Amino acid sequence: MTDHTPSAATPAVPLAEGPATTGHGARLAPSALHSGDLFRVASIGLRSRRLRASLSALGIAIGIAAMVAVLGISESSKANLLQALDRLGTNLLVVEAGGGFIGNEDAALPTTAEAMLRRIGPVDDVSSVTSVDATVLRTDLAPSDQTGGITVKAADTELLETLVGEMVDGEWLDDARAGLPVVVLGSVTADRLGITDVGDGVQVWLGGQWFTVIGIMEPLELAPDLDTSAVIGRDIAIAELGAAEAPGTVYLRTDPDEVDDVQAVIAPTANPENPDQVEVSRPSDAIEARAAASNAFTALFLGLGAVALLVGGVGIANVMVISVLERRSEIGLRRALGATRRHVSVQFLSEALLLSAAGGLAGVVLGATVTAVYDAARGWEVVVPTVGLVGGVAAALVIGAVAGLYPAMRASRLAPTDALRTV
Amino acid sequence: MNATDGAGATALAPTSPAPDAAVIQLRDVVKEYPGDPPTRVLQGVDLVVRRGELLAIVGPSGSGKSTLLHIMGTLDRPTAGDVHIAGHDVARLADRQLSALRARAIGFVFQQFFLLPGMSATDNVADGLLYTGRRLRDRQARAREALERVGLGHRLDYNTEKLSGGERQRVAVARALVGEPEVVLADEPTGNLDSRSSDALVDLLHELNDDGSTIVVITHDHDIAGRLRRQVAIRDGLIEADVTHGAPEAPGTLREAAR
Repeated sequence: MTDHTPSAATPAVPLAEGPATTGHGARLAPSALHSGDLFRVASIGLRSRRLRASLSALGIAIGIAAMVAVLGISESSKANLLQALDRLGTNLLVVEAGGGFIGNEDAALPTTAEAMLRRIGPVDDVSSVTSVDATVLRTDLAPSDQTGGITVKAADTELLETLVGEMVDGEWLDDARAGLPVVVLGSVTADRLGITDVGDGVQVWLGGQWFTVIGIMEPLELAPDLDTSAVIGRDIAIAELGAAEAPGTVYLRTDPDEVDDVQAVIAPTANPENPDQVEVSRPSDAIEARAAASNAFTALFLGLGAVALLVGGVGIANVMVISVLERRSEIGLRRALGATRRHVSVQFLSEALLLSAAGGLAGVVLGATVTAVYDAARGWEVVVPTVGLVGGVAAALVIGAVAGLYPAMRASRLAPTDALRTV
Repeated sequence: MNATDGAGATALAPTSPAPDAAVIQLRDVVKEYPGDPPTRVLQGVDLVVRRGELLAIVGPSGSGKSTLLHIMGTLDRPTAGDVHIAGHDVARLADRQLSALRARAIGFVFQQFFLLPGMSATDNVADGLLYTGRRLRDRQARAREALERVGLGHRLDYNTEKLSGGERQRVAVARALVGEPEVVLADEPTGNLDSRSSDALVDLLHELNDDGSTIVVITHDHDIAGRLRRQVAIRDGLIEADVTHGAPEAPGTLREAAR
């Protein structure tokens, strides 16, 4: 709109002259309030009572932040688990003796099991682990019952690859050393024995003789029981420590598309005589279960966030009711200046909406920050779901609208003369 | 510019058409508030305010003068009787239309100023046009002009909380005038001012009236009322006297007398 140029030379145009728009019999142009002005008018109450406005917006912010953070953290956690699944693969199957009805304490896989399983078409990789009846001690002087829960296992040389394991330090067993007194420690084992590196040929007292530590493994997500083990070569285990030739646990990698089919034929293949004494599991199921379980917690925390949000909404309603009581004279003034009832109610409703929108935005930022910090601390990739961000602000606006409705109606119903009456 | 003499209650015969110059025309206005028995605050008031007049409605508290102001300002409706403001029959206007009438034809000045905190003088005055649909820049230009008129050209951007009482009331007067309304209704405009500021405000009202504004001052203060050309005395809801000074006084004399 072009700037109005007032006739500055004659400051007062005498009202008696010239056709006034409101002159006798003239049609009345209705009162109007531009949307840009509405924003300004609605923010006056907030600007002049900053502390109160901030505190009531804080209530909403906390509720929204809680919900955004819960959604964000649970999504990040899920994304992290799925990444782990991608990395580790879902095509690993674990075959163990067990199950069946009775007397299965002695159940064992036949010595031929590993070879038989290798013949299943879609099976790519097979390796096995056998328990060894021996203890690991830091020195030969340590009491033999202080094993710290560490077991000794014999493994073949492909095991690490099958389990997608990594080494912290040193090396994994190879064919040349499978018959030598060398040992690879699981992550927990290394910790309990107080061994952090393999640099200076450190040795442990294993099954009555000295074994040299040649490597320390990272935690194995697919086979956590190996974390508390000391792993030696199969050859030396059978030759010197009397380990059974039959495998205790067999790990299989299959074609990812045929995992279910393979799973179905494993038991009869591994132990054709007693297929019911074979237990087959899929470790990635556990990771998937963890992802599913986090959903239950998410629902619970979302519920708590919703309660916080509700309390925030009640806070805003409360502040708005007080505001209407306190600002009677402003309401009266606005009616005197030509505001309609509707202008007054829209003003207070907008104020409530502004308040809750500010709280919602602050809450979304806060919630996203909490998510980012938490994810970073856990070493996860930061995932803040859009549904949380958009939903957070939308929820705040809905709360604000509901909370502002009653005070706005009250303000608009106030008679101008009552509003202007000073108490 | 001075109102014609004898424009009292009796001049308005019930059958005569509304004179063109009448900005406010009350005929047999009665206002009752519900109760047992009902309180009859106005008991049949006849009053005509013409364009360019500057008059005082004076009466003790409880005389009904505030109710009269509310009815003249269309903030309240009479229980009975006719009210014409700027040619509009108030009884025939809906609440929304009354708001429009207030936005365009009536300016208010209140004893308590009712300036909005945290806003500059210009913004407060510009809010006098807020509901007229004019654009912000236009409103602010007019607000600055109105503040110049009331002698506050040097206080345009001051926060009103930093102004003296007299200056605040001038801001309120500027806000009432900024829309160039048909009539300005001032409710005890000097009630919260010291005597010096009161005098200055009355002088200002005279100046504005000389420039053409129609101004009605409601007051309990006979000194203030005595300095205006026409005085309407009200008591117990009835007009007791309606006196207009015969000869128009030169504004200069009045201002000097005030000092």
